Amino acid sequence: MMRKYSREIIVAIALILLMLALAAYAPAYFDPQPLLSRFTSQAPALVAAIGITLVIIIRQIDISIGAQFSMCAVVAGVAAAAGMPLPVAVLAAVLTGAVMGAFNGLLVAWLGLPSIVVTLATMVTWNEALRLWQQGRLMNLPAGIQWFGLSQSAGQGIVIGLSVVLLIAFAWGMRNLALGRYVYATGTDAEAARLAGINPRWMTFGVFVLTGALAGLAAVLNMVQSPQVQPNAGDGLELKVIAAAVVGGVAITGGRGNLWGVLLGLLLLVNVNPALTYFHQPPYWERAIQGLVILLAVVADGLQRGKKVKHA
Amino acid sequence: MKRSSFLCSLAVLCAVPFIGACKKTETGGAKDGKLTIAFLPKSKGNQYFVTCERGARAAAKELGAELLFDGPTNSDPAKQNEIVEGWISSGVDVIAAACENKEGLSTALRNAQKAGIKVVTYDADALPDARSFFVNQATEKGIGDALLDNAAKLIGEEGEFAIITANLTAANQNAWIKAIETRQAEKYPKLKLVDIKPCDDLKDKAQQETTNLLGAHPNLKAVISVCSPGVPGAAEAVKQAGKTGAVKVVGLGLPSENKAYVKEGVTQSVILWKVEDLGYLAIKAGAALADGSLKPGATEFDAGKLGKLKVEGDNILLGTPFAFTKENIDQFDF
Amino acid sequence: MHEMSSAPSKSLKGIFARHEVVLLLVVALEVLIFSLLGRNFLGEANVSNIFRHSVEIGMLALVMTPVILTGGIDLSVGSMMGLCAVCFGILVKEAQFSPLLAALCSVAIGATGGGLNAFLIARLKLPPLIVTLGTFSLFRGLAEALTKGSKSYSGFSDSFLALGNSEVAGLPAQLWIFIAVALGVYLLVHHTTFGRSFRAIGYSPEGSRYAGLAVGRNISLAYILAGAVAGLAAVIFVARIGEARANAGIGYELLAITAVVLGGTSIFGGSGTVCGTLLGYLAVAVLNNGLKRIMDYELLDRKISDMASELSGLLTGLLLIVALAITPLLRILATRRSRSQH
Repeated sequence: MMRKYSREIIVAIALILLMLALAAYAPAYFDPQPLLSRFTSQAPALVAAIGITLVIIIRQIDISIGAQFSMCAVVAGVAAAAGMPLPVAVLAAVLTGAVMGAFNGLLVAWLGLPSIVVTLATMVTWNEALRLWQQGRLMNLPAGIQWFGLSQSAGQGIVIGLSVVLLIAFAWGMRNLALGRYVYATGTDAEAARLAGINPRWMTFGVFVLTGALAGLAAVLNMVQSPQVQPNAGDGLELKVIAAAVVGGVAITGGRGNLWGVLLGLLLLVNVNPALTYFHQPPYWERAIQGLVILLAVVADGLQRGKKVKHA
Repeated sequence: MKRSSFLCSLAVLCAVPFIGACKKTETGGAKDGKLTIAFLPKSKGNQYFVTCERGARAAAKELGAELLFDGPTNSDPAKQNEIVEGWISSGVDVIAAACENKEGLSTALRNAQKAGIKVVTYDADALPDARSFFVNQATEKGIGDALLDNAAKLIGEEGEFAIITANLTAANQNAWIKAIETRQAEKYPKLKLVDIKPCDDLKDKAQQETTNLLGAHPNLKAVISVCSPGVPGAAEAVKQAGKTGAVKVVGLGLPSENKAYVKEGVTQSVILWKVEDLGYLAIKAGAALADGSLKPGATEFDAGKLGKLKVEGDNILLGTPFAFTKENIDQFDF
Repeated sequence: MHEMSSAPSKSLKGIFARHEVVLLLVVALEVLIFSLLGRNFLGEANVSNIFRHSVEIGMLALVMTPVILTGGIDLSVGSMMGLCAVCFGILVKEAQFSPLLAALCSVAIGATGGGLNAFLIARLKLPPLIVTLGTFSLFRGLAEALTKGSKSYSGFSDSFLALGNSEVAGLPAQLWIFIAVALGVYLLVHHTTFGRSFRAIGYSPEGSRYAGLAVGRNISLAYILAGAVAGLAAVIFVARIGEARANAGIGYELLAITAVVLGGTSIFGGSGTVCGTLLGYLAVAVLNNGLKRIMDYELLDRKISDMASELSGLLTGLLLIVALAITPLLRILATRRSRSQH
């Protein structure tokens, strides 16, 4: 048990230490309002992280997820600004995401192309297409979109609630549903999975489609938090969620990792920056610290694996 | 061999609709005695420069000149240099540039001048020896002063304030922040700058940073954003924190992006100049420089529909920046 | 991921020779289109621009080739350029080093950073993608921290700036350095047993170990070389734009990887050539430059040159997809056809 969850435990300890330091030196960190706003604004990243986790577990990668997020946000924004009801806008965003995911999936699963290169290419393509289309225009949304037309606290509740429900559902599904196990099986050894009667191509394709759809949903959860949509809203999201997955113990070599670890990883990474602010530290160390966190996580992983090999 | 030929035909097939969709510009081929003016924004995909471009196009049309327009789409600091050097080798007559990196771009602009191209800068200046005139909508000092004066007035010249910037390496923003710091030291001893946070030009990140600033500095009285996506981002954070009116939001931005927050009273004032006129004036000045009607030492410049404008040294003054507030924001459509 | 890569063909050599031929045709087609539609595309000044504006990316692509051949990847080279540029600026402007000495230091710093990657990847056997994702943030973060984000260094001597802005024997000065690096990497990869081991390692690390290759040492060398050349590229970059700032080389890692993959090197390692990389780099560099010259044609009421920055990204992405998809697509079509004939 301890060994199986050692990564999660390490990350959890790091997170707890950070929280303790904050509690001691900057207790204002835990005031309910900023805490709630902080959680709400990171909820879309959590939804996107679910998608990226599935992709990495199945032994692929998707660096176009930020571009997909931007594209879906704009599609949803355009639909909403055109006066369509919110559910239609949501559907449009999720479908757009799924189609972009399907494009990645098609190239990766059926043509056997390396996902890192495919998604690098689609990332550039979607981003530049967006720039040509929107030219960076900040889009104003009609009233009734922000917080789903409800009060702020109700809206925040829905955003956080939805992403937590998704997290629980996926975490449960990955453990207990046959399809979830198939994802692990395909990621561990696609050939063995095929011999066991799983179709690795359909699994890979499906995961990419799902990731796109989740990116679309994340974009919507982000859109409802303000009355405007920025067309490059997803810039840098791919790095954030991949880093969260890696720090959370998802093995880049596929087949290993779980969503609770990813949640911890994301919490750790997104709290570094606010913590610097609360400790009244200058911001220019932020990026270096994030790099260090990733490196430490991966080194911890390597040392632990090394130990296991020696034991064996 | 068969495959190569298949690939070639495929490539050609792909290219056909693309080329088919192109059409020759009405004016047709290159040099037919017309003035060619190149217009360089700090970045593309930015509403501010899209508005500038609109003014520039209007001026070019008026002059019957050809307008070229290109700018960086990412934060690679070499991109502006590459675009300018491209224009030098294609033989344009005038370059009007807004400099992201003052020292860096000056290298390329000097080369342009050596090649006989007239250079004016607008929005953000180059080093003085790299251009003939700067079309000055506001100096670094002017912008810094306007921002801080506005904020100081709103909070009674006393208390803590924080700054949201684009990113830590943005030269222009850093110059404004420096101006704000200088002004504060000189004029407002009771104001205190507590933190400067980058938002990577992302509205959502500005919101997150401001949320943290509000929590970490409970006595914060004002947030100044020196990048345009930062203004609505900071406003949303203040609104979510329930501190509307208690914490003032001031920044550089476009009226259309801030209308809602200004009307709600979350954002108190947005400082800007007539952006479209800035683009218009830059092109007018460039053209006048090329036909010799504007010479170094001039004290006045006839800028067409903008009337006669004052020239101070090598700066053509567009006029001082002004503040959009609840009362006047509806009058502007950009 | 290996399972899904294309199956090794009977005559590997033939395929890659052909891939390079196809790429050469792409470059030729680009040149043809741009010289027909573009303004002054083949003018001397512009041809020299094509190279001056891209040798840094080209150098990164060259040294990325051995890294990818071993089955690795290095996402940190662009950030390394930022760190080295800042260090170079500090050394020249604050410590009063001569530019030459500072340049050597810059290369050494790059090699040290590459050494960090190498240690984590080759010694601790950590996945390159994640290690270099970490150093990608770390190096850029250090560059920002060293300059407090805002400081930049300029006002270098004219003799140093000449490295980035003058011509030597009819070619841009930095192109000569590029040619030297290209020649060096070519000889290393294709004409030494040491270099040939890169492909062997990428093809089968276990097999290489059993065959007696010093796998760890050879992988290390690839990353150290990448870091060192990133340091060199940083110096050239500073000489070109005359300013050293923490954001030098931002995004260059992706452009370099694009050039390598476009050049036919398998991202899984084991196969690829330096010539392919050079052609891939050329295809991207010419596309970037050429679109800016199409000033007399419009697409959807905007001049092509007015959209050059966006279109070159868009078309590079599409080109990458087409270049990769074409082989498996044809294979699938071929099997369909042969099946239907039976």
